[in-house]
Amino acid sequence: MAGIGVGAVVSLYGNTTQYVTFPDAVKFATENPGKDYHIVCTLDKEKAIVYNPQTDPNHLEFGAIDSLGNKMTVIYGKPKPQDMERSQKLVLIGHAEGKNFRATDILSKCPSKYEDTPVENKP
Amino acid sequence: MKEVVFNNEALWLGNLGQFFIVLTTIACLGALWFYYKAASNSNSENLILGRRLFYTQALSVFGVFVVLFVIIFQHRYEYYYAWRHSSNALPVYYMISCFWEGQEGSFLLWMFWNAVLGLIIARNAGRWEAPVMTVIGFVQLGLSTMLLGLGQGDAGWPVHIGSSPFDLLREQRPDFLQIPVMAQVGVENYLQIFKDGNGLNQLLQNYWMVIHPPTLFLGFATAMVPFAYSIAGLWMKEDRSWINPALIWSLVCVGILGAGIIMGGFWAYESLSFGGYWAWDPVENASLMPWLIMASAAHMLLIAKGTGRHLFASHLLTQLSFWLVLYATFLTRSGILGDASVHSFTDLGLSGQLLIFLFAVLLLSFLSVLSSPKHRHIALASFAGIVILFSLFTIYSKPANAPVVATATKWTGIVLFLAVMAVFIVVLNKRTRQKAEDEKWMSRELWMFIGAMFLILSLLQVFSATSIPVFNKLFGYAKAPARAEDYNAVQLWLAMPVMLLMAIGQYFRWRDTSIAEFRKEVSIATSVALILTLVVNFSFGILAVKYLIFLFLAVLLFTANILYIRKLKKFSWLNWGGSIAHAGFGILLAGVLVSSANQKILTASQGIRFASELNSDGKADEKAIRFNRENMLFNKNVPVQLGEFEATYKGFVQGKGNDSIDKYFNVHFVRKGRSGEIQDSFTLKPKTQNNPKMGLLAEPSTRHYISRDIFTHVNFESSLEKQVPFSGFSESVVRVGETFLSGSGKIKMTLLKVDKFDSAGIMAVKLIVKAVRLKDSAILNPVFLLKSASEEVTAPPAISDNLGLVLELVNIEIPEQGEAQNNVRFMLKSGERPPQNEYIVVKAIEFPWINLVWAGTIIMVIGFAMAVVNRIAQQKALMKV
Repeated sequence: MAGIGVGAVVSLYGNTTQYVTFPDAVKFATENPGKDYHIVCTLDKEKAIVYNPQTDPNHLEFGAIDSLGNKMTVIYGKPKPQDMERSQKLVLIGHAEGKNFRATDILSKCPSKYEDTPVENKP
Repeated sequence: MKEVVFNNEALWLGNLGQFFIVLTTIACLGALWFYYKAASNSNSENLILGRRLFYTQALSVFGVFVVLFVIIFQHRYEYYYAWRHSSNALPVYYMISCFWEGQEGSFLLWMFWNAVLGLIIARNAGRWEAPVMTVIGFVQLGLSTMLLGLGQGDAGWPVHIGSSPFDLLREQRPDFLQIPVMAQVGVENYLQIFKDGNGLNQLLQNYWMVIHPPTLFLGFATAMVPFAYSIAGLWMKEDRSWINPALIWSLVCVGILGAGIIMGGFWAYESLSFGGYWAWDPVENASLMPWLIMASAAHMLLIAKGTGRHLFASHLLTQLSFWLVLYATFLTRSGILGDASVHSFTDLGLSGQLLIFLFAVLLLSFLSVLSSPKHRHIALASFAGIVILFSLFTIYSKPANAPVVATATKWTGIVLFLAVMAVFIVVLNKRTRQKAEDEKWMSRELWMFIGAMFLILSLLQVFSATSIPVFNKLFGYAKAPARAEDYNAVQLWLAMPVMLLMAIGQYFRWRDTSIAEFRKEVSIATSVALILTLVVNFSFGILAVKYLIFLFLAVLLFTANILYIRKLKKFSWLNWGGSIAHAGFGILLAGVLVSSANQKILTASQGIRFASELNSDGKADEKAIRFNRENMLFNKNVPVQLGEFEATYKGFVQGKGNDSIDKYFNVHFVRKGRSGEIQDSFTLKPKTQNNPKMGLLAEPSTRHYISRDIFTHVNFESSLEKQVPFSGFSESVVRVGETFLSGSGKIKMTLLKVDKFDSAGIMAVKLIVKAVRLKDSAILNPVFLLKSASEEVTAPPAISDNLGLVLELVNIEIPEQGEAQNNVRFMLKSGERPPQNEYIVVKAIEFPWINLVWAGTIIMVIGFAMAVVNRIAQQKALMKV
């Protein structure tokens, strides 16, 4: 019984994803296809945010800069999180696909008006 | 410097509240001390003193509660808590919700329940009163220190203890007194500026949020009682007599905590946007962990009561459940979850104190297991020594050595924790060891024990996955938080043996069972369950093998327990509690399975999600992309086919109140028969609030049927698009009934009617203007607001996106004397921009049979209530003999 327990916990830890950078994500995409990674990054203000719901409500494209300064284009198959432009930090969950990073989830951390509590959006 | 005297502050209220907090702490300390003395030498004078001090602290906790409520109710924004968590517009029934938006208020709620439970136990526990109340006094003391606010806001204090809800706004946020407008009114009149509060989080303004937190905290509070009985049993060296009261309270806890958890799920389903009721969020897991262990503890206590076996597991699990309550509190309130949770609790600087509280309770468990007072004193003294030594090290070490000292402290703490746990387990095992006796294969106790072990495995996975941020912090890892899939993958399989044992467990008898009878009963139950599974699956339509096994087990769980009722004695329906609770759990799990495995995303082409949108050759997989996309665009008045429904977006309605930022989007659903006749139609009104502080908050809207729910949720809408600024402004002066043109002449407007109203010191004039541009038309409502006290004027413009029109009421020209009174003229300013299609981006989900989740929960809670009443009746019958 204890063995199963330890085994379950160890396999869980083997399976959990790590916080990585964009170059790592590109590398891992060939090593472990189909696995998602977490990337902490900020919005690349120089690149335009593309979201045209009239053509495709499920296509958002923007630039992101990871914690080491690497830039990458992110594609997200859901509507644009409303507070994206204001967010100080984005946590992307997804994987590299060719030149782009395909995010399956985006958590955006925003500064609030009076308080420092982060607010999250799960669209 | 001259001392500033601030005007209009009711400082006496805060002082009264603070007095009650200090009184609570002192009375807890006193109750703890005298109850401890009474338990140690059964002195009745000490017992009475302890009881009176506990009554004092209970009254004083109620006092804190009342004072804080008065502060919120009277909008006393000089108090930070009221300013931070409430506002003038908040209805009274949500004022109570302010208590649990802030941490101080939720500690207060917890203490309130502890006080209520303490009063019940002090009256009814008989000879258990002194030792049990000692433990409750200890826990209550620990919680009361969280509210002390000692040294709050004062950097000069060496230690900060607790965070008081009666802290002043100007002390908590001295920067507010420096804001530029302050000079106009003078700093002493700062309350003239802070006339309204920050408000309650929109998401908490939901009726479920009024009852979910109190239920959950009552569950947390009841988890303390079996814990206290276990400690008292070890301390008083009573092997058996603690078991029955602990069992009753553990059943109360499993029922109430379970209901509280599901209520939270229902709230999430009704008002959050993730589309479901359970997301394996760390905050959800934090309340699930003590529940899983309390459920297994209750079964161990049943075995202990029935056979006298498994005393070790009874003690260990009962105590572990309360440790997990405290660990959950630490997780959710220390800010350690950070990135991992959608619930944002900030660190109030209490994380250290919460950790100390957790360790103090572990130490209490450790001391209770030591049998001689001498050992306890030695253990306590050595702990105190180690703590003082390391505190001195930390305070007096050179700044350069600080990291080394911190690392040494951390590792000593970890080693000490492991050592204490190891000794606790070894000594407890030794103390509860019984004569070796064969446990029969066909005994109920053996299979119940195995079932409890599976619950523990389930806990182990939830615990280790939820604690990833803690391990990251402790050992410097960079693991990302676990995702829902990680939990589902393991928990699905762990649930199956638990369900099987819950189904057939009751057919085993204590000690031994006749195989022939067991085989007969279980085959009947299995056959009925197989048939029932086939029948229900006609409607459910589950195909995957693992889900079919799960469904069969859930149905078996239901049928086996319902069939078991006929084996019970007649007329003793209270005996049915266990079976009914189990059967309800079976319904709940069947509902969880079918509503999640078979949910259909109506706004996608099909309800299947693919992780990758690439083919094996690396090219875009068009089919996967189509399936992956979950949102659809609804242009206004253009019907869209959603499954068997035709859905049409009909336009939005602004929320009530003149400055409301709520929008309700009317989506009309129609289901037509073959010949085009309308079989069913309804309108859903998903809501959004583009909140300046929190971003887009969306509240889903759901159509409930018995067999399914249609859930809709707006993720984007046309007015969120970046707009071209308005231009071509032009002003017109008009009377009611007159028509005028916009600057370009493309839009024709008619002033239809004027609405006047006067409420809460605000005079408002609302115009109803019809605007027409080619084939499109819209009704606009420009408003003119006059606050009678300050004569402050605001005129929020009305905007129509699909006409590209803004209309502002600039001035009202009152007729002069002698003129006809109905000759009021309105000056309107219009502006234009290119018209834009009005649309919403919607995600709609069909949840089949989700009502089974709620129905199962209600049945389960009824079962627990029956079991509790039954056990209390048994206890009373025992006492009479």
